[in-house]
Amino acid sequence: MNLEALIPEYVRGFQAYVPSKPDHLLMREYGASMLHRLNNNENPLGPPPAAARVIAAFPPERAAIYPSGDSYDLRQSLGARLGIAADRVLVGNGSCEVISSVIKAFCQPGDNIVTADKTFAVYEWVAEFSGIEARLTPLRDYAFDPQAMLDRIDRHTKILFVCNPNNPTGTYWTQRMLVDFLEQAGEDRIVVVDEAYREYIDDPEYPDTIGLMERFPNLVVFRTFSKMYALAGLRVGYLAGTEAVVEVVRRTSVAYSVNVQAQQAALAALEDDREHIAATRTLVREGMRLVVDACRDLELETVGGAGNYLMIRTPINDMLMYRRLMKRGMMVRTMTGFRFPGWIRVTLREIPVMASFAAILAEEVHAIRNQRVPA
Amino acid sequence: MKQAKSRSHSLSSRLPFKGAFLPLAMSLVEKGAEGFGYGRREAGGLVLAIEELFSFYARQATADSAIDVDLEDQGYRLALTLTFRMANPDLRAFNLTWNCSLDSEESLELLGPMLAARSVSSLRLDFGTDDQVVLRLARNRDYPPAADVPLPPGDLKSPLRLLEPSADDLRHFAAMAVAAGSPFLPGFLARPGMAADMLAAGHIGALLIEQDSWIRGGVLWHPLTGSCLELYGPYIFGPDADAQGVTLLLDAAVARISRSPYRGLVRRQGVLAGFERFFDFLGELHLRRGDAAIRSTCYYRQLKEESSGTVYCAEPLASFLDKQYDRLCLPRQIRQAGSDPARLRDGSVLAVELEHERSLAILRPLCAGKDMAANLTAHLDMLRGEGIGNFLVELNTGRSEDTAFAAPLAETGFVPRLVIPDAGQGDLVVYDHPEPEGRV
Repeated sequence: MNLEALIPEYVRGFQAYVPSKPDHLLMREYGASMLHRLNNNENPLGPPPAAARVIAAFPPERAAIYPSGDSYDLRQSLGARLGIAADRVLVGNGSCEVISSVIKAFCQPGDNIVTADKTFAVYEWVAEFSGIEARLTPLRDYAFDPQAMLDRIDRHTKILFVCNPNNPTGTYWTQRMLVDFLEQAGEDRIVVVDEAYREYIDDPEYPDTIGLMERFPNLVVFRTFSKMYALAGLRVGYLAGTEAVVEVVRRTSVAYSVNVQAQQAALAALEDDREHIAATRTLVREGMRLVVDACRDLELETVGGAGNYLMIRTPINDMLMYRRLMKRGMMVRTMTGFRFPGWIRVTLREIPVMASFAAILAEEVHAIRNQRVPA
Repeated sequence: MKQAKSRSHSLSSRLPFKGAFLPLAMSLVEKGAEGFGYGRREAGGLVLAIEELFSFYARQATADSAIDVDLEDQGYRLALTLTFRMANPDLRAFNLTWNCSLDSEESLELLGPMLAARSVSSLRLDFGTDDQVVLRLARNRDYPPAADVPLPPGDLKSPLRLLEPSADDLRHFAAMAVAAGSPFLPGFLARPGMAADMLAAGHIGALLIEQDSWIRGGVLWHPLTGSCLELYGPYIFGPDADAQGVTLLLDAAVARISRSPYRGLVRRQGVLAGFERFFDFLGELHLRRGDAAIRSTCYYRQLKEESSGTVYCAEPLASFLDKQYDRLCLPRQIRQAGSDPARLRDGSVLAVELEHERSLAILRPLCAGKDMAANLTAHLDMLRGEGIGNFLVELNTGRSEDTAFAAPLAETGFVPRLVIPDAGQGDLVVYDHPEPEGRV
């Protein structure tokens, strides 16, 4: 069998993503007695109480029954929450699935998408392994640069992806900036605004993307239950758009991809999120303050803003810092893969964990600075 | 850097692996090379190689076997790949030290592969599953040396700017690197036309910086192995206040290749000030340049977070690896190898890559054998006779054929100096061979 001949050119050169190993294996490999995951921007508070109860009470016999193929009840609830018809919502197995659905719905080989070079990688990956060119623009002051993106548009540009707030830098566009961008981008292409971390932001200037869809029918919004709602393990994300756009995306979406427990938990989470969001925001704010202060004492540069994460510039290359911290039981995210070599990204968690992280980081930095430099 | 095999620049054929089809195989290579625009001298080596290899191994092939012949024009070189299945192929003649004796019939038979190995620019041997043997041969185009070009004046003022080089930009940059007398120039930079063609073929990646319309420096990368890139540079022409040029180039180069399939990036070109932000320190190789002892400093950085593995080996390699893995915080499990020397084949095989400019030979184990120590000694003696003064061995921790060489390497004076993580099927241990005092 000549497998190579079967593989499209754009898949041949693509390397599969390698996720991190399970905790027990990592702990054994690095000789760490404990492991704090500070790498995936998960919420340590867990899901809102109502969602936690639904998960705990899940009846095993329900596992034998297919879920709603299009997350019917959840879409109704999301529609009511957003003030739009349920048909304007499409639920997927995490927002990565809806990214893939949108690209498949609107792009074919020869087309291109435009996004930033230093952002969530999945827009670029899905485009590339689908044979679609990913046009990448540099950030300006750690933020998406609207003009740079507009400059890369041509007649083959189908989708513009804006991560707002940006992962990993935490910068975001305001309503005014987004409206300017949408006006200049025109209606001949889809503009996706990924709001995976929007619930962490309490700023009246943050865009009302759902409201803007009346004026800009090419606007599509991604949101997720993985971050603020702490349902990352159940994988639920969704998109909202105009009825016409969502109807097209639905054609390339896989029905039944969201399991029944995930749908029920997300539904419950939506109905019980007020105190959960407030508590999470407080936790992130306090964690941010602690780590930023610790980094200032260590004379380490930081970049952060919105979202439950902070970037730290490391005195050694980020990959070695990752391995040193792994040996101490702290798993961070290296930023080489985000095209920020020499930086790590840290998830902001509860104060005791952040204090422990700050202490270990300080020990490592002092050890690095005190050791004799070879060569 | 994306390498793409263009169907319009390659041809493939599957032939019965029988002597009767040798003329067809030779004609395929000869006419194919001609069609791709290669001269008689450039194509001749490959035609000779396929003649010798095809006829030698066809004699050992089973009656119903076939051979795949793939010829590809990669712009700067013609690549020939021969793929066939054979349980125990005789590879001894690929040793550089193989000497033909007119008195020995076996020796004469092995003359063919030896001639083939020496008539091409590079030869690589891979073993696949189900007794698959893959011989990869390449013959470079002939390129003229660099012409003299002016270097930038020292009083340029405007900000440095990154430049995505065209093939012409890179050709000019390579000529500047030669004119500047930059140390550690790889062979492809010493031939600017070759560097330009390699860039066009996607076989190297490069970024340059410019200032006031002058090229002020650059950095290049090229696969060292299937999983590891090697970085060349940064080369800077003129002053570089606060290492601005170096930082700009390294930040951009690492960002550029960070989402490539490669797992690591190695730099083997001596000391780099302020390396800590970009690289791990791997170690130093002890080499000689003329009468002077020099140390070649090696750096590395992972490109993917995940890196783990198990190494089967014996002492003294196990202790060396344990120390290196601990220093680099690399999660590895070292297990005692249990190979029985009595079960080894008689003849070991080494591949040799020569860098005459650095008086350097890089030896890579292909097959372990009972004669490993003698074979290493024979290679050292022969290469010294050809004026080579520096010897490195690259040993792959993921191949038991390689780790079996650990004891013979120690026995013949080779010293393990550093480990390049994930650079092959496992990690790559690099040995050098320090000369005894007073010997040059």
